[in-house]
Amino acid sequence: MNASKRRGNVITYVFLTLGAVLILFPLYICIATTFKTSSESAVSFFTLPKSLYLGNYAEVLADEKLYYAYKNTILVTVLSLLAEMLIMPPMSYALSRSMGHSRLFRNLYYFFLLGIFLPWQVRMMPVVKLMGWLNLLSPSGIVLLYLAHATCESMFLYVGYLATVSNSLEEAAYIDGATTLQTYTRVILPLMRPILATVLIREGLAIWNDFQMPLVCLNRSHKLWTLTIYQNNFQSEYSVDYNLAFACLVVASLPIMIFYVVMQKQIIGGLTNGAVKG
Amino acid sequence: MVTPAKKRAVGRSKLQREQTLTFIAFTIPGFLMYCCFLIFPILMGIYYSFMDWNGISPSYDFIGLENYADLLTDRKYKAALLFNVRYTLLLIVGVVVISVILALMLNREIKGRSFFRTLYFAPAVLSMITISLIFKQIFFYVLPAIGQRLNIALLSSNVLADRDLAIYGVLFVHLWQGVALPTLLFLAGLQTIPQELYEAASIDGANAWQQFRAITVTYLLPTLSVVLVLVVKQGLMVFDYVKSMTQGGPGGATQSIALLIYNNGFERNKYSYSITQAIATGLIIAFISFIQIKYTSGKKVE
Repeated sequence: MNASKRRGNVITYVFLTLGAVLILFPLYICIATTFKTSSESAVSFFTLPKSLYLGNYAEVLADEKLYYAYKNTILVTVLSLLAEMLIMPPMSYALSRSMGHSRLFRNLYYFFLLGIFLPWQVRMMPVVKLMGWLNLLSPSGIVLLYLAHATCESMFLYVGYLATVSNSLEEAAYIDGATTLQTYTRVILPLMRPILATVLIREGLAIWNDFQMPLVCLNRSHKLWTLTIYQNNFQSEYSVDYNLAFACLVVASLPIMIFYVVMQKQIIGGLTNGAVKG
Repeated sequence: MVTPAKKRAVGRSKLQREQTLTFIAFTIPGFLMYCCFLIFPILMGIYYSFMDWNGISPSYDFIGLENYADLLTDRKYKAALLFNVRYTLLLIVGVVVISVILALMLNREIKGRSFFRTLYFAPAVLSMITISLIFKQIFFYVLPAIGQRLNIALLSSNVLADRDLAIYGVLFVHLWQGVALPTLLFLAGLQTIPQELYEAASIDGANAWQQFRAITVTYLLPTLSVVLVLVVKQGLMVFDYVKSMTQGGPGGATQSIALLIYNNGFERNKYSYSITQAIATGLIIAFISFIQIKYTSGKKVE
């Protein structure tokens, strides 16, 4: 290794370490503070906790709102992803294989793409009215909104992916007398596995972490809150007691952190693929 | 007499019909969902933007283009628009510079590369709300404590409570979280560059900077356009960070368009007017992203 390359590596290390400190510092403050009493953290934020004080966690975990928030977030995310997996891939398959020769399907594709360009704020207020009329201002109700939104984005990803899948396998299935539905479930769906994973991770994270839709649709009773709403409202209630506020943030983001540690490779892959194609 | 060829043709057209019907059945659920919960609300919005509804009262009147006319002289809207433009420009510069540098560093063959990669990407999986709330407390309690101890005047009071500095506080948090994905995208872009190009260039006597400009930048351009689309959309529609950290304050200094629309629609009962603002902004953004995507897809070389 030559001298200039070694010097470059040293500089790289210095910068990357500084960056790592910048990322870890807020997280350290957040986690360390949760194990301190308020009088201890008033003396210093920066030291490690003297003893592992668990009172903050006990208080957060005793709050029933937390469990509603967990339940609702899981419900919304799981239902949305299930429905999306059921509806979007076959639709995208139909569009992908008919766009070439059918004007109807080509126009449908462009119609579905329209939604990508319009920001959510354009339909934010009417959506709340509409869902109110339909009595759907509930966690399972907003699943429909996430699905409508997924129509544009995930359809775009699926169709893009299917364009790269050669149709020789499905031709063979049709010649063997398979129906379109059989061909879809036995040939196409298995081939789509990588893009399904990408979309699941993208949509899953986006829905789990979403704040705006729950804020306008579910911020009435704490029984409807999702985790983001819960964190936001908890902090406005206990803003003075930052030990407690930090404990709430840690507890609420624990599932996603564990998920990241376990599924790191898939998550990074999914988000990178989705962004490049989307 | 039915020839085999004819039989095959009949079979094929029957198959075609079966396929078309199945494809239509495949499309109907998504189509209905999209029409009911995406297209219909937009049409509702356009309708209400011509009314004077406050969102609550049982009756309202048609007022034509009055809401749109009001928009042209609305100082708050103009201020929010300016905030978003300024914020977006700063965000673009910050994200592109930081994430390209990080990607170049993470692309070097050093020990612990995958550790750094994991760590640098972690902020992207947390919700914006969690990050904002952590930083809100840090800006409020921790930074002033550091600033006072080290005698740094800039930090000794809450940055978010300062009219001139609040935008940078929000921007810092956005960058802290927002460079993660672009860094990975640039990293993926860097890995597509054939190493022979650098070798050939250095044999030809090109220095590091010339190599960077001629080879690296060229290969990163497609990624850059993807990143720009992402960042412009984020910057122009920034909501979560300002809503949870500053509520648009102090004194409207960080009032973004998305927050203004939200406040008018849900807190100040200006239902029709806030929809008008949303539609006008939506058209601006749709125009920008259309231009961006058109320009990008026309230029992309594989």
